Amino acid sequence: MEAATHQVSSGGRPRLGRSPASRLPDRALRYGLTALSVAVLALLAYFFVKLAVESRLVFEEEGVLSYVFANNWNVADSIYGALPLVVGTLITSALALLFGVPVAVAVALFLTELCPRKLRGSLTIVVDLLAAVPSVVYGLWAFYFLIPKLKPVEQWFADTFHFLPFVAIGSVPGPNYFIAGLVLAIMLLPIVCAISREVLATVPANLKEASLGLGMTRWEMIRISMLPYARRGIVGASMLGLGRAIGETIAVTIVIGDSPTLGHSIFGQGYTLAAVIANEFNEAAANPLHKSALIAAGLVLFVLTLLVNSIARFAVMRSERQSGRPIAGGGGL
Amino acid sequence: MESGSLATELLRPPSPRRRRTDKAMRALMWTATFIALVPLVLVLYYTLKKGIGALDWEFFSTDPTGSFLGTQGGVKSAILGTLEIVGFAAVVAVPLGIGVALYLTEYGGRGRLAQAVRFFVDVMTGVPSIVFGLFIYLVLVLGGTGGSTFAGWKGSAALALLMLPIVTRSSEVALQLVPGSLREAALALGAPRWKVVLRVVLPTAASGIVTGSLLAIARAAGETAPLLFTSTIVKGTTFDLNEPMNSLPAQIFQDLKQPNDELVQRAWGAAITLIAMILTLTLVAKLIQRRSRGKGAT
Amino acid sequence: MKLRKTGVLLLLSALLALGVAACGGGSSSSSTGGAETAGASEGGEAESGGSSTEGLSGTISGAGSTFAQPIISQWGSELKEQGLTVNYNSIGSGGGVSQFQENTVDFGDSDAAMTDEEVEAAEKNGTPVHVPIVLGAVTVSYNLPGVETGLKLDGATVAEIFLGKITKWNDPAIAKLNPGVELPETAISVYHRSDSSGTTALFTEFLADYSPEWKSQLGEGDTVKWPTGTGANGNEGVAGGVSQTEGAIGYVELAYALQNQFTFADVQNKAGKFIEPSLESTSAAGEDVKFPPDLRFSTINASSSPSAYPIGSTTFVLVYEDLCKAGKSEETAANVVGFLDYALGPEGQAAGEELDYAPLASELREASQAKVDGLKCNGKPIKAA
Repeated sequence: MEAATHQVSSGGRPRLGRSPASRLPDRALRYGLTALSVAVLALLAYFFVKLAVESRLVFEEEGVLSYVFANNWNVADSIYGALPLVVGTLITSALALLFGVPVAVAVALFLTELCPRKLRGSLTIVVDLLAAVPSVVYGLWAFYFLIPKLKPVEQWFADTFHFLPFVAIGSVPGPNYFIAGLVLAIMLLPIVCAISREVLATVPANLKEASLGLGMTRWEMIRISMLPYARRGIVGASMLGLGRAIGETIAVTIVIGDSPTLGHSIFGQGYTLAAVIANEFNEAAANPLHKSALIAAGLVLFVLTLLVNSIARFAVMRSERQSGRPIAGGGGL
Repeated sequence: MESGSLATELLRPPSPRRRRTDKAMRALMWTATFIALVPLVLVLYYTLKKGIGALDWEFFSTDPTGSFLGTQGGVKSAILGTLEIVGFAAVVAVPLGIGVALYLTEYGGRGRLAQAVRFFVDVMTGVPSIVFGLFIYLVLVLGGTGGSTFAGWKGSAALALLMLPIVTRSSEVALQLVPGSLREAALALGAPRWKVVLRVVLPTAASGIVTGSLLAIARAAGETAPLLFTSTIVKGTTFDLNEPMNSLPAQIFQDLKQPNDELVQRAWGAAITLIAMILTLTLVAKLIQRRSRGKGAT
Repeated sequence: MKLRKTGVLLLLSALLALGVAACGGGSSSSSTGGAETAGASEGGEAESGGSSTEGLSGTISGAGSTFAQPIISQWGSELKEQGLTVNYNSIGSGGGVSQFQENTVDFGDSDAAMTDEEVEAAEKNGTPVHVPIVLGAVTVSYNLPGVETGLKLDGATVAEIFLGKITKWNDPAIAKLNPGVELPETAISVYHRSDSSGTTALFTEFLADYSPEWKSQLGEGDTVKWPTGTGANGNEGVAGGVSQTEGAIGYVELAYALQNQFTFADVQNKAGKFIEPSLESTSAAGEDVKFPPDLRFSTINASSSPSAYPIGSTTFVLVYEDLCKAGKSEETAANVVGFLDYALGPEGQAAGEELDYAPLASELREASQAKVDGLKCNGKPIKAA
């Protein structure tokens, strides 16, 4: 902090000759903005400390490891092992990445390389509009459209491919991991696409021209010159999408099945960290251990997204530095 | 490694196999784009089909009645609640966010404080909205600030936490694009620094800042999770931010699983309303962004 | 270029102005709204008017049972016409008790009386009062095309189904109770509550009486660890699940079952009779049941009347005895009393019939009314004697 103020004052040297009165607004603005920034930092610190302190009870009662890794979320007997929630969060997010990222990257490539110029602008906006549909509306749509329409397909798939890992024979319930993953994939598509597009735009033109000049086809140029160059940025984009998928609450709550158990397959019912908070906070208000368990779920969620986002930022930053162009973090964000 | 063979291969005209791969991959990208648009079309089409019948004057001018057997009423309180909650959140978060961004670009530079602020703003961007909601619930609702109940302004507080980092990030990027020469020129003309910041730098970056702020507002308007804990779900319209307040996303969430066709249809109608609000904001933001980009190019 | 920049600035300022206007508008109209609701004359009228609900205005907020949501909402929409807005959030009885204990609502509602620990936790805000308001029934509803309403089930069989021991509809245990009914081989899909629920408490209390295994494995209460089935939020969630799934069975309040035209079971009562849930049989469930002075009691399996439905129960509104000491304004306190007066009054009790909630037996109704009359604001009775 000392260093910062020092640097600031050295930056403002040209005004030294002014009268004190005219320097007043200057000081006011500078110190005001600094104070504001410090306040934001303090707020975030308080936020983290509050979550940590309030979740201590359950960590003391259950132990950190057995809170996260015990497979028993049993409100009736006041036992809180969050493994079914953690696994639910991870399965749905992984499915979302699996379905969403390839499509998102392909769309980004299409928009930067293949799309007719006239179409490009409007098509970009249309893809970005996917991010403008609120999550509760995705949930509503998934509940009344996706679940009934896909149920026979899922049932057929489960019956036919039950020998695959993570697929099991048996009747497929309407709400399940797969549906949640699919909805999340749709939701993270615009984010991953927007950032991938920006990353792809940073590929130097001469690199592309050189590739084409060597006689490569478009696809070869993309595969050999562009993708390796943009790889890190695309990984970063996917990670940012993953961060969003992990924390997404309402759409998932609507289609996950509200069952705090480990689903037996990708068509099984489960729960996620975020969904359990949304569903149980009301009844937990006056039960210290239950409340603490939900706050701990929030903390785990926070730490998970922090990890994922740090990797993402790091990757995007590296690709920013490589190209020297700033990447805003995508219009969809 | 493979480049040796590749180079020799490349010097020849593309073989049919390579052409085929190229064609296939192009087709794949076309398909992917098509696939990406399918859900958007489906969501919009289905929402319109299901919800358009709910939209009439009643729908916009009456509150939910909550009656079990009788008429269900409209979503007036939810629309007004969303406007109030999001509006108040914007009034708080947008100036704060721009302020922090100004600090970062104009005063903080690469200093340690600025780096810390930048890092933690990034951290905040990634925090799931429900965790912000939980935090506000713990501190303001259970803590009993301003009377111990749920209140509209507490919902605004949760949304403001969500918007703040988005506004800060986008404003910072916009401010960074202001050429240093512009600042230097103004300073050389003898303008005091605060004037340079407020009258030269800020207006130049205005379009970027407005775009970012509008997108942040649009994002916040669609959030459900943090509102469930904070402003909760009620029926009546209120203009008192210190009372529990309804909102469109919360109303949709409440209605959608009800075993009552009228309520489900109201959920779809509310969804149309919410999408229309957010789409308008987003489109305005995109238009401003495009215009300013066009300007930058000329 | 200049023009565009001005345009952008204009837009920015317009937006800001809009925001400010919205804010200003909000606060100004809220202050007038406040003046209206705080109208001393109206408050006075409510006080002097005794059990009359005329002149109520303003808003009260409650949360809790989804079992009671239909009737509370019905009262709410009737009171709305008289100027009182009742914001009732049906979050489940567990949520209702919790939010009541944390004092975030003006009243809570639970279908099962609070346990001693729950009462103790609430006492930090004052003495909690239970006000039974109406009787409802938990139906065992099923979705089984081809099978009419009135399948006969007893407690032990229902317990086996919800334990996951009986998995097909044509199980001998069910067939034995229903001679002559052609039962399909459909698999049974169990739907139960995922939230903390008074309906669950009533249902499990009933089952525990008939199944020792249930008693030892799951016990009774707002939440139990279900060995099988799909979880759903609220009575409406379970109703939605049952209505969408063939072969489903679930437990929902009678109003939800009737609203969805569910088929539901005749359940065997203590006297050995299979009874259809209805207004009359629910009413009978509340007859000659003894209740303690604090009105924390249960009607599950309690009535000896041969026509009583065994899973009928009162639902309890939870309020603090001294509302103002618990942080409510004088006006809110008067409104809560007005709301309860209306609910327990002839109109309120009759309103239940349309939704098949049974009115309280007169003895209990008087006891409830006495509780309401005893509510205070800063030590003074809210209703002038």
